[in-house]
Amino acid sequence: MPEVKSIFREVLPKQGQLSMEDVPTMVLCKPKLLPLKSVTLEKLEKMQMEAQEAVKQQELAMKEQ
Amino acid sequence: MEVTMDPLFLAWSYFRRRKLQQCSDICTKILRDSPYDQAAWSLKTRALTEMVYIDEVEVDQEGIAEMMLDESSIAQVARPGTSLRLPGTSQGGGPTPAVRPMTQSGRPITGFVRPSTQSGRPGTMEQAIKTPRTASTARPVTSASGRFIRLGTASMLTNPDGPFINLSRLNLANYSQKPNLSRTLFDYIFHHENDVRNALDLAAQATEHAQFKDWWWKLQLGKCYYRLGLYREAEKQFRSALNHQEVVDTYLYLAKVYQRLDQPITALNLFKQGLDHFPGEVTLLTGIARIHEEMNNISSATEYYKDVLKQDNTHVEAIACIGSNHFYTDQPEIALRFYRRLLQMGVYNCQLYNNLGLCCFYAQQYDMTLSSFERALTLVANDEDQADVWYNIGHVAVGIGDLTLAYQCFKLTLAFNNDHAEAYNNLAVLELRKGHIEQSKAFLQTAASLAPHMYEPHFNLSILSEKIGDLQNSYTAAQKSEDAFPEHVDTQQLLKQLRQHFSVL
Repeated sequence: MPEVKSIFREVLPKQGQLSMEDVPTMVLCKPKLLPLKSVTLEKLEKMQMEAQEAVKQQELAMKEQ
Repeated sequence: MEVTMDPLFLAWSYFRRRKLQQCSDICTKILRDSPYDQAAWSLKTRALTEMVYIDEVEVDQEGIAEMMLDESSIAQVARPGTSLRLPGTSQGGGPTPAVRPMTQSGRPITGFVRPSTQSGRPGTMEQAIKTPRTASTARPVTSASGRFIRLGTASMLTNPDGPFINLSRLNLANYSQKPNLSRTLFDYIFHHENDVRNALDLAAQATEHAQFKDWWWKLQLGKCYYRLGLYREAEKQFRSALNHQEVVDTYLYLAKVYQRLDQPITALNLFKQGLDHFPGEVTLLTGIARIHEEMNNISSATEYYKDVLKQDNTHVEAIACIGSNHFYTDQPEIALRFYRRLLQMGVYNCQLYNNLGLCCFYAQQYDMTLSSFERALTLVANDEDQADVWYNIGHVAVGIGDLTLAYQCFKLTLAFNNDHAEAYNNLAVLELRKGHIEQSKAFLQTAASLAPHMYEPHFNLSILSEKIGDLQNSYTAAQKSEDAFPEHVDTQQLLKQLRQHFSVL
């Protein structure tokens, strides 16, 4: 449709200055990808948990006696 | 007539199927009937060892004492690129803190945590004490052996009749003469009882019995020395073991010694030497990649991780590290593919779903984002993880412009983890948007004191102070921000502006 003339025309100022001010803005901390855990680390944590549980159980048993 | 299986054979079968408790129970029964049954005794030691066995190569924990009172380092101020302790010297064009968060030690966060990941040393005693020391950050408890000792005592607690082998009554010299028993006994003492000194005794006598020709005993001796902190002696033993026989494990242990002695270049050379003998060995390649990563040379670390994947395309560590690197170099779509691969491989945990959620959001696959985060929240194991997931959901909320939700998310983060400095900083930004200057300032100060290594709180505090006319505080905060992140352009400009102000006055 070459004949149809657009009603809107772009406005390009020929005079004056374009100014832009660079205002420093606050920065957000970045999103955090969580690191995956190695098998060894998971096993360590599991053993630590189990050990703590075992100690707790025994302490409970001691109290009941 | 019922045919019963030979109990020892059954115990063996249980052992092979890793039903260790049953195996140990049967052995106990056999030993009750005939206390001198060596086969049952040896099998029981093996079963008990396997229960608490962790790969010694992977375990590396530094206590505060080792970190602060380190006497094995050669140079106090090492040249750049030769030390693991100068994380700031990035040569590989790694991402700046502006895009990739930093850990306490000033390294970019990694895609994978192993027990030795955060071996970066804190600069001051105060920082060392403040660094979180839970298992989730792979930090030591109080000393290198703290966790080992606790595991040892726990294993004793679970046996109401006392320990299986009474080490103090054991005639080590006698056992060291019997090669068929001494090795299982050594493993038991080392891994189950965590009694390094007795283990060392046994190993020393056994290696003497083998006329110093057995590489295995030399390796064990080296392991004991390493645990005792005698790194140079450990090095000697490992070197000597290598002379007898080339084994991948020995290379790994030796490299561990060099890393502890802060000689990454030597460790790298050693790995390359190992690769000459064992071309394409995955553990050696991973070792190289880890050292590059620790030295903040992310791009070559990624190269090596890619080499690892060429050999073993299901290597979780390599996939995770490459994925996180893509995410922080602005390619979340590619990172998403790596994390999806992990999901296909059967990794199913909170961390993975959290990462998938983030990648989906930044790769504009909004349909999956929230369901991934929901899944992550259901799989959460501890409060720290939960805090981090909420923190990331807060970012999604900021991204879609729902600031109320973001505010709530960051608040939740703090509810789960009161020391979450990033959440304090982001809350401060949101508070300032609402116009609560005092509240914002308080949050920023908290964030800055919790995490002096991050530049964001300092920088924000500087801007805030400058706006309310407190130029002196603004200047000090800006200086701190410059210390944390020297290349930050906005900080530089702010400092310049402030200096101009002061010179006019």
